[in-house]
Parts: sequence; C-alpha cells; structure tokens
Amino acid sequence: MVIDPATCERCLKCLPVCPVGAIRFERPTKQVVIDQDLCVECEVCYRADVCPSGALQRVELSWPRTLRAVFSNPLLIHKETRIPGRGTEEMKTNDVTGRFKRGQIGIAVELGRPGLSASFRDVEKVTKTCAAHGIQFEPQNPVTHLLKDRIRGTILPEVLDERVLSAIVEFEIEQTAALVLLKDLQAISRELDTVFSLNVTQLVEPDGSVPMLDMLRAEGLSPSPNGKNNMGLGQPAYDFGAEGE
Amino acid sequence: MSHTLHRLGNPENLTDDWVVFAMSAKGINEKGSAEKLRKFLDIALTHDPINYGDMKTGNSFTATVDDLVEGIQDVSIVHAVFTSEDEVAAVLRDLKAADLGMSVVVSGLVDTTKRCAGRAGLGQHTIEYSLGIWGQTDRLPGERTLQITTMCGHGMVAAGLVHKMVKDVRRGKLSVENAAAELARPCVCGVFNQYRAARLLAALVASEDEDAPPSPGQTISFT
Repeated sequence: MVIDPATCERCLKCLPVCPVGAIRFERPTKQVVIDQDLCVECEVCYRADVCPSGALQRVELSWPRTLRAVFSNPLLIHKETRIPGRGTEEMKTNDVTGRFKRGQIGIAVELGRPGLSASFRDVEKVTKTCAAHGIQFEPQNPVTHLLKDRIRGTILPEVLDERVLSAIVEFEIEQTAALVLLKDLQAISRELDTVFSLNVTQLVEPDGSVPMLDMLRAEGLSPSPNGKNNMGLGQPAYDFGAEGE
Repeated sequence: MSHTLHRLGNPENLTDDWVVFAMSAKGINEKGSAEKLRKFLDIALTHDPINYGDMKTGNSFTATVDDLVEGIQDVSIVHAVFTSEDEVAAVLRDLKAADLGMSVVVSGLVDTTKRCAGRAGLGQHTIEYSLGIWGQTDRLPGERTLQITTMCGHGMVAAGLVHKMVKDVRRGKLSVENAAAELARPCVCGVFNQYRAARLLAALVASEDEDAPPSPGQTISFT
C-alpha cells in the first residue's frame, strides 16, 4: 500500500486502523506516509474505506514482497493449502483427516500474533530451534514451503527480511518429547524481536480426558480456559478406532 | 490457522463468547460441500447469532445474509457467534440432527463446551488450547486492549482503533455499542463478538488508569 501525497488530505483517518502502526504523519514534511518496512500489505486500511480522497492505493507486489500479502491478508488463499489465512486446517478437520494421533501433541507457534508482526528472520530462529528436535514440519503449512533445508530449519535467504502480520510454524510431536521442546521455545522467545502465540492440540480420550494437561500444568504452563473444540461431526476418512491395534 | 483461538480473557469475561463454525476437509469431503455449509449457516441463523460471516464475502456488518449464502464455496469456513451456553447447545443439537458430515468446531470455554456437547449428545473429538503469548510482550498494547483485539484472530482489529473508539466514546461522539460495531467491521470472518467488546470497551472508557503494556519478558498467560 502507498499513499498518494498529491491527493492525500491529511485527515489522519487511516492512522488508527493500521494493525501494525505503519501509517504515520511526518511533521517535517507534513505528509502521511506508510512505512514500507513495517507495512505487511494486509490491506485493512484499504478495506476500512476511511480515505475520503482515494489516496490509499494498492500497488502491484513482486517476489518476495508478495509474501507479506499472502501471510497478512486473510482474503488471499495460499496456493499450497488452498485455504485462506496463514496456517492449515489443523485440528479443525481432525475428525475427518486424523492428522493428530493418540499420544501426540500438535504445536503451533504463531510469530507476530497478536498484532505485532514478525520478520522471517525471527521465524527462522523458531524453525531452527524446532528442527534441532528432529520434528517434521507440517507439509501443508505455508512456512514449510519457505524452508531451504527442512532438516536444519533454515529459510530461503531472500525472504528473511520480509515482514508479515503473522506466520505459523506447525508440527506434531510425541507427548513424551514435547516438554523439552517447549522449554527451548521459552528460551528462544527472549531472543526474538517479536512475540508469538503458542497453542497445543490433542485428541480427546474416549473417557473425555486430555492427557497433556496435567503434564503442562506440572511444568507451570497455563492452558487457556477457552479453546477450540472439534465436535466430531465430520464424516471420518480415518479410522481412529484402529489406532493401537 | 487458529483464527478463533488465543481470545485473551478470563473465565468471567469469556462466558458470553462462543464461535461455532464449519468447514470441509480439502481433498476429502470438499467436493459439493458448499450446499452443506449453506445448511450450516441456515441452522446457525435460526438461533440468532450476534455476528456471522465467511471471510471470502464478509461479516454481518459488511454483507447481507443473501450475499453470504450466495458466496459460500466448497473451500469456505462459515462462522457464527453466540452469547449463551443454551444457544450453543441448541445449535449443536440441530447440527447433529442435520448430519451434514462437515467438521464443526466450537471456540469457547472448554468446560462449558463439554457441557453443551453433552446436552446435544456429542463429545469433544480434538481440542486446542492457547499457552499464551511469549517473547517481547512489553511491545504489545495493554491486556484490556488485547482482550478486544484478539477476538479477530487474523489481527485485523488494530489496537489504535480501540484507542480511538475509547476516545470517541469519552467525547460523546459514539455510543459504546456503535463503537463496538465499528471494531467488528474489519474482522472479515465475522468471529468478532461485539457484545463482549462493548462490555470491555465500557470498562476501558470508565477506567482512569492507563491500559499499560506488560512488563518486559512477561509471558501473557491465561488464568
């Protein structure tokens, strides 16, 4: 996004709608500008329709800046996942797909969320940390498609300075191995130039219990009182009953 | 993505915050699912959701029901927001009877969701929890602002817009309800709960102390 200085009326109505604070009024020049490094191309400002003069303008993006748009604007669909947004179907369709199996924990590290944004340089710090544990990155996740080396967790060098509203690192891990990795994520979080929101997913046991909860609480982690509950109404294409046979 | 998770809050102020949504699994039961997702929306609408939407078309503030129904595709995720346990239980009961074969997810207080599921003759299949926000949390807005902005998981509701709404309400330019509706508009999926937002906004408006950012290094945990 850019602001056309010739048509901008300096009404400042666009400033508060930017989720990352990339739009600012520069006093010396008396211009309203969009910081192109901070702008994540989410187009919230454009859709808000707050500009009275049409000064907010879309521009055609080229690689790798195009990444900003697909990771930040939920109206765009990733070609890898064919779903809008930044991640995958994850647990939302687990009743059909059987992606998360008994004994596993699904972990998703969403860098930049909430509303701070993140560069792929920070994303790489997390992918390298996770790769050191020998995890397999979720193949459908768009971040996985940006990995140069899935074993080491390195990201394509040409995208490292691109900034996105958020990017998710997703994988499954055996419950017994999860705590050590979570501790490493805690350590790396202090070295990041952003935040991440962290979530954990697990299949509910037939008796209604969720085995990971006691383990997490014993380590001082606080699972949220609210969560996402897949209600098991999807037509299964995976035989959960056959697990352990 | 986990666009309805990480809704920051506590058990007290999350009691009226429920998102129910449906989708197909790509490449498995995707083909022909648009009609089933339209049926999902039909069922949801009979229980008077306060907001609803599909990110490809918009939310209840930016699109008509007819536009939303027409815009539903096989790849859509269709959402509806409710404010009571009774409504959620009733929606689940009707969805079970409809047997659409689509995946249905409820985002809300986990223990209460379990109770809703039981009332509808269902169980929880898979569950996802937030473990909070880690890293440079001192660069975030205050927690009371985050409780509002995190109701749009895609991050479309800016903290700056919350601050502007607080100012506009204090100056008498907007009612709390209209300010909350303004905040709901950018959330294209229609998962923003403007009722809860109005309550949280009213508390911010009435508050004399600044909604200060967290301390450096502080993990924002749920309590």
